[in-house]
Amino acid sequence: MLRGLGARLARHGSCALTGIIAHLRLLPPPRTAPGAGLLCAGAALSRGKPKSAIINCKNRCAKYCPSYIPLPSSWAVSIPFFHVVFTGKNEYDLLVIGGGSGGLACAKEAAQFGRKVAVLDYVEPSPQGTAWGLGGTCVNVGCIPKKLMHQAALLGSSLKDAQHYGWSISQPVHHTWSVMAQSVQNYVKSLNWGHRVQLQEKKVKYFNIKGSFSDPHTVRGLTKAGKEVSCYNIVIATGGRPKYPVHVAGALEYGITSDDLFWLKESPGKTLIVGASYVSLECAGFLTGIGLDTTVMMRSIPLRGFDQQMASLVTEHMESYGTKFLKRCFPTKVEKLKSNRLQVTWKNADLGTEETDSFNTVMWAVGRAPDTKTLNLEAAGVKTNSETGKIIVDASEATSVPHIYAIGDITEGRPELTPTAIAAGKLLAQRLFSQSSELMDYDNVPTTVFTPLEYGCVGLSEEAAVQRHGSDNIEVYHAYYKPLEFTVAERDATQCYIKMVCLREREQRILGLHFIGPNAGEVIQGFALGIKCGATYPQMMKTVGIHPTCAEEVTKLHITKRSGLDATVTGC
Amino acid sequence: HFPSTEPGAMAAAAYELLVLGGGSGGLAGARRAAELGARVALVEPRRLGGTCVNVGCVPKKVMWNTAVHAEFIHDHADYGFETPGVKFNWRTIKEKRDAYVRRLNDIYENNVKRAHIDIIRGYGKFTADPQPTIEVDGKKYTAPHILIATGGRPTVPSDSEIPGASLGMTSDGFFELEELPRRSVIVGAGYIAVEIAGILSTLGSKSSLLIRHDKVLRTFDSLISSNCTQELENTGVDVWKHTQVKKVTKSSSGLLDVTVSSAVPGHKPTEGVIQDVDCLLWAVGREPNSEGLCLDQVGVQVDPKGHVVVDEYQNTTRKGIYALGDVCGKALLTPVAIAAARKLAHRLFEGKQDSRLDYENIPTVVFSHPPIGTVGLTEEEAVAVHGKDNVKIYNTSFTPLYHAVTQRKVKCVMKLVCAGKEEKVVGLHMQGLGCDEMLQGFAVAVKMGATKADLDNTVAIHPTSAEELVTLR
Repeated sequence: MLRGLGARLARHGSCALTGIIAHLRLLPPPRTAPGAGLLCAGAALSRGKPKSAIINCKNRCAKYCPSYIPLPSSWAVSIPFFHVVFTGKNEYDLLVIGGGSGGLACAKEAAQFGRKVAVLDYVEPSPQGTAWGLGGTCVNVGCIPKKLMHQAALLGSSLKDAQHYGWSISQPVHHTWSVMAQSVQNYVKSLNWGHRVQLQEKKVKYFNIKGSFSDPHTVRGLTKAGKEVSCYNIVIATGGRPKYPVHVAGALEYGITSDDLFWLKESPGKTLIVGASYVSLECAGFLTGIGLDTTVMMRSIPLRGFDQQMASLVTEHMESYGTKFLKRCFPTKVEKLKSNRLQVTWKNADLGTEETDSFNTVMWAVGRAPDTKTLNLEAAGVKTNSETGKIIVDASEATSVPHIYAIGDITEGRPELTPTAIAAGKLLAQRLFSQSSELMDYDNVPTTVFTPLEYGCVGLSEEAAVQRHGSDNIEVYHAYYKPLEFTVAERDATQCYIKMVCLREREQRILGLHFIGPNAGEVIQGFALGIKCGATYPQMMKTVGIHPTCAEEVTKLHITKRSGLDATVTGC
Repeated sequence: HFPSTEPGAMAAAAYELLVLGGGSGGLAGARRAAELGARVALVEPRRLGGTCVNVGCVPKKVMWNTAVHAEFIHDHADYGFETPGVKFNWRTIKEKRDAYVRRLNDIYENNVKRAHIDIIRGYGKFTADPQPTIEVDGKKYTAPHILIATGGRPTVPSDSEIPGASLGMTSDGFFELEELPRRSVIVGAGYIAVEIAGILSTLGSKSSLLIRHDKVLRTFDSLISSNCTQELENTGVDVWKHTQVKKVTKSSSGLLDVTVSSAVPGHKPTEGVIQDVDCLLWAVGREPNSEGLCLDQVGVQVDPKGHVVVDEYQNTTRKGIYALGDVCGKALLTPVAIAAARKLAHRLFEGKQDSRLDYENIPTVVFSHPPIGTVGLTEEEAVAVHGKDNVKIYNTSFTPLYHAVTQRKVKCVMKLVCAGKEEKVVGLHMQGLGCDEMLQGFAVAVKMGATKADLDNTVAIHPTSAEELVTLR
């Protein structure tokens, strides 16, 4: 899935641009917290008004915000609490920079508590000029269009199956990209509109502006309406954008990314996708499924960070499905031919050879990067990881500057997933404005890769489980199963595989569950709940199966890897 | 090694377990017992696999998948595929389905043989011998443990009740149809009626569903019952409510005329005739295959409907004789029979005294259009058990993302039934695209005693329909 959030903010979020500058000014209060040493990162600040912003009682802090964070005493003294000086006509309790999944969820939740909230969102066009509306990556260039195009591809495969089920369909079936893309794009636009309406209904002020810190207390932005805004708390939720390779000639000039793919008006034609992330594999999967000649170029391993046995099965299936793979290869240049086709030159690391081929479209899926530098975080004193560029946050999503928070794809060490950003945003708003102390729990986050054969998982990969507990202390139950819908359709089910990683001790608590097969996304959600509740292997087995489904195979797992027995499921 | 022949048995080999019925429950019990070292024989007159494999879950789901393709074909154009001139040929799928079922029959037979289980072909019945004994085609067999797993069959009203009723078929006959019926009448409001009406209608047969009350699936949660009735009507099934069949006659063309009487409460009953019916299908319930077993010979008690009476360990009223699956009339589901049979095998042949199946929170899917998933208590049941003030309901209704770009829209509805202060999830009911595959994991959690807070704490998977269950407000 392409997930993530946050439309990117301005590259030049400064007054160099014409228009009226909004100064969001946060100034130190008249007094510092007496005898501080403890500082409430969230709730107390949220009360916002200068008086309540001063924490003078440890108990009180603990009561309202058990997530208080002990600070070095020097910091507590030298960095006072901030409170707001109203420099503009409007005052806001919360300013959210970035109108993606996380930012919008946080803003709307805060507004539910009767707070005045503003969202700044501005989409910087991609290098190829693609731009979109409110809603961030997920809605515009991620989960939503991706899943719809995945559905289109599944329908393409279902046409082949249908013939085994008694349907005669005249061949070849033709797919028209523009018809699909138009419906998908119209739907996305309706979602953009829906988000705007929701903000309006919840009385969240939306500014289509670029924002940038000019000092720790000031966010500047360009507003079309020419209004100045001010606020108490700031949430950065500007998400990430696809990366371009740095040392490949012609990459930026001729290549597209996932930011462009879903908005193409015409079919991308013969396509090369560089990278082996889930973004790459999902896009390659649906392009193959709608009948396009599609090649994935991967330098090393597919689906880094995922269980590697599962990752291999996913790519194995894609190969049998028709996606071509150039393994251990990396591109060196892209040139435009007279025919308008793109000639790509690459090196094969194993053979040491140089090879070329021409494509209609070259798409980079070589990772995603936070665009923190446009925010001018140095001016605010918000610390980032120098390697990843992502914002460093604590368990309460606070940055190194206590009144500035960050959620979603822009944060260091968090999963780049819409639902985690949404949940984190909501919980943050609840801590800020509703005396909640509940922190986001980032353990056991389920996810699904929507490749032609879907891969859903939750918890630890087998590798991670071995590393954490040792191979002697884990038990892996697994099964190769055949979905009933594959039998009549005579589809190969070689890669339909389930693996459950458990602790080996008596209780056999489940550490991870991995499922490859149709509807993996729908299958894994409920199991994720069970695993979140601490499910054990015997508890899983106690549940009666639902026959005939693929999901029931999970409750029938009984062959351990250790036994070396054949894990192929036979019969009911 | 084979134990010596027991006195009184005429068979060459003596067995530790005799299983009557080669369906899901019988096969599972026989195989597990054999795995645990028992000497087992299985009595079955017909092809192995029972209802599920031959005339139930498996061929039904194949037909449901076939019908799902019919639904997809409506959506192809919306997703950019041009598919002009699509035609459906029933014979193709019938042949493939039969071939697949045959293949399964063979697989089962091989599995049984590989487990060194003897297959005794024929109908078994108990004799009057002092030791519980089974007679098959004049040959007697005995064993210290005998398992009755003979299943059930569809009920057909008698011709005395409804003249001409025998002109109709049942779900068994549905799987023998060589052509797609042009005009179908399905009688019944249970899940079998709903599934078959959905399949026939979706594949293009003009279908009427006759139900006695105003809704189908009346034992399900009211949300499902109402929504499913609505969806049947949406997909073109002509649902005749408050309707019963009065008589059936065969016209000279060989087609059936079905005379029905509709009695909407508060209105005068009206009679009507559905003409030229080529498929009249009774789906008015199932009855146990117990009467030919001569159970009275061994003192195995049956209830007034013929279901074998068992305790929670599947013991009948006669020591050494057990029963499970559809013949007992409780939770008529393949996985229930399989699980109960395996539990029993572990109890009998591995000494696990407490090994028994817990019949609570058994998840069920109905392969309607769209599919239904349900586990636990209905809202009504929960209120009865916990009291109205202690039950909290969470509902949602939405259009799945799949339908975002399609002309055809089918909504998904979900209901979570929670009880007590901690809001323990005691019931989950849903109907919509993907609910069939969605339910299993949630069933594990419900079985574990998950609370609403646990659902809230589970991160969603986006974009799926299942995520709606963990984001209910």
